Amino acid sequence: MKYVAIIRQVPDGESKIKVDGGKVSLEGATLILDQMDEYAVEQIIRLKEAAGGEAVVVAFGPERTEEAMRTALAMGADRGVLITAEGYVDPITQAAALAKVLAEEAPDVVFSGGQQADWDSQALGPAVAEALGWPSVTWTTAFELDGASAKATHDLDEGAEVVKVALPAIFTAQQGLNEPRYPTLPGIMKAKKKEIKKIDAAELGVSASKVEILEQQIMELERQGKIIDGSKEPAAAAAELIRLLHEEAKVL
Amino acid sequence: MILTFMDHDGTKLRKSALESVTRARKLAQTIGGEVVGLLVGPGAETVAQEAKKYVTKVYTVSGPDWQNYTAEKWALAAYAAAEAAGAKVVITPASRSGRSWSPRLAFKLNAALLEDTLDSWAEGEKVFASKYSFLNRVLEKQAASFPAVISVKPNTTPLAEPAGEGAVAALSVELGEVENKVEVLEKISESGGKVALTEAEVVVTGGRGMGSAEAFGMIEELADLLGGAVGATRAVIDAGWRPYGEQIGQTGKTVQPNVYFALALSGAVQHQAGMNKSKVVVAVNKDPDAPVFKESDYGVVGDIHQVLPVMIEEVKKLKNA
Ligand SMILES: Cc1cc2nc3c(=O)[nH]c(=O)nc-3n(C[C@H](O)[C@H](O)[C@H](O)COP(=O)(O)OP(=O)(O)OC[C@H]3O[C@@H](n4cnc5c(N)ncnc54)[C@H](O)[C@@H]3O)c2cc1C
Ligand SMILES: Nc1ncnc2c1ncn2[C@@H]1O[C@H](COP(=O)(O)O)[C@@H](O)[C@H]1O
Repeated sequence: MKYVAIIRQVPDGESKIKVDGGKVSLEGATLILDQMDEYAVEQIIRLKEAAGGEAVVVAFGPERTEEAMRTALAMGADRGVLITAEGYVDPITQAAALAKVLAEEAPDVVFSGGQQADWDSQALGPAVAEALGWPSVTWTTAFELDGASAKATHDLDEGAEVVKVALPAIFTAQQGLNEPRYPTLPGIMKAKKKEIKKIDAAELGVSASKVEILEQQIMELERQGKIIDGSKEPAAAAAELIRLLHEEAKVL
Repeated sequence: MILTFMDHDGTKLRKSALESVTRARKLAQTIGGEVVGLLVGPGAETVAQEAKKYVTKVYTVSGPDWQNYTAEKWALAAYAAAEAAGAKVVITPASRSGRSWSPRLAFKLNAALLEDTLDSWAEGEKVFASKYSFLNRVLEKQAASFPAVISVKPNTTPLAEPAGEGAVAALSVELGEVENKVEVLEKISESGGKVALTEAEVVVTGGRGMGSAEAFGMIEELADLLGGAVGATRAVIDAGWRPYGEQIGQTGKTVQPNVYFALALSGAVQHQAGMNKSKVVVAVNKDPDAPVFKESDYGVVGDIHQVLPVMIEEVKKLKNA
């Protein structure tokens, strides 16, 4: 069987965000394999380890995405295919291009992260599935192969459900699906030699993005930071806290 | 025409349906055309009697094929309704399910997808929307051409008022191949708290530092006293102390209460993504260097087991005063 993870490179959530000329600037930010995509990569590696076959990572993004792809290869994926395009391209437009690559790769199971840590988008997995005419399951917390289908548990608006899905299909990962491994040193060395095939998005017929980002501004609220030291007299500190919330903040 | 998907529970409309109607009406004022609704699944005919008060026409899609939600089916129903209505815009809820089928719909319609939007408006031949990005830390403005699918972030838009008496039309939609590829085997339901987390004015969240499931008795007590809801961090869910539905953060729920209590939790960026728009944030943590203090208005450095019981007693005193 063949397994694919669709990944992206995003800024590390821990790093500060800068806005330059009304747009987020990633200059100086630490860029990582999206942590939600790590679950996807881990899952396809586990599937390959359990049943054999091939684990392939696929991405749509700028050239630098190769670094995130190397991380996935260091974790244990076999090879990568990167569709290159600079600048913002919306997930629906990306999906059309990714579907062309996936149609050619013809995997049985595809995983992707549940939500992207930069665009806060959840659209890519379902959109690629639609482009291929495949079913999609979002927020997957448990996955099991079962012949030509798979059994998956996934989160709904409230609660969860278990579904049986005919393959090929696309699943997006939720936390709890697995515990992603860290790349090992030998893994990192091996990853350097693994193949990453690059395809220019234009060759796949990608025209302009359907969505344009006009301006961005940082929305982190200023907090007051009135912190009371209660390490010595916790009861007095607790009482003072409630007094402040009542009298000053007027929220109680 | 603007099509608005109206989410319901089988007997009545959900709040998100009325938020969507508000958005649809706003767009209709600039781009013209009528606002039509869509109800899918069991109970659609019943709910149509309520729904038709908000739109000029309600399409219903129901029957044996439509008993269980799947993203494939809901996207297909919305596509059929959008075609029937000649919709230029489709408004959908940015609930977990809404965000799972809206991309499929956008692809079918070759439309732009404006996802999880706070607001949306039109000018000339363009449609605009605002949304958060970068783990809820950035506010951005997006633009697209028509047709567009716009998903509405829950609890951000005023609820529509009834405005007349529209028509009801049953739409018959035949399933294709892909719609038969997902079979629902089992539902795992989760009883919600007394107050809906995403709508609560007060949220009391406990983290791993609470130490045990039992210690959440104190969290519940404070939430009850304040008419609020209980929240939890991922670490707490993973420990099995609280149900998944209480998780707040990037992969859980997003809340925006008047006051948010962050108790014995570190304040990881993925947790912040679900609560950083709260009006007042209050933290208790024994570690003065915990990141959560940088994101708080008020806080106490101290042991939760010593601080929280006194907080509860003080709140009781206030309530009795
Ligand atoms: C892709 C991804 C998505 C994620 N999504 C989410 C999400 O949606 N929501 C979420 O919550 N997390 C999420 N996480 C996990 C997140 O990174 C953190 O691991 C998690 O939030 C930590 O939970 P915590 O603060 O309860 O635990 P910890 O980080 O362990 O913090 C416990 C805190 O309690 C304090 N403490 C301990 N004992 C006491 C005491 N007696 N009195 C007072 N204070 C005490 C400690 O000082 C510490 O600060 C995600 C992670 C990833 C990688
Ligand atoms: N979440 C986002 N929302 C809007 N624009 C983004 C987002 N992430 C990246 N961009 C923008 O897309 C452009 C190209 O980014 P890059 O991914 O670095 O090539 C830059 O102008 C970024 O600011």
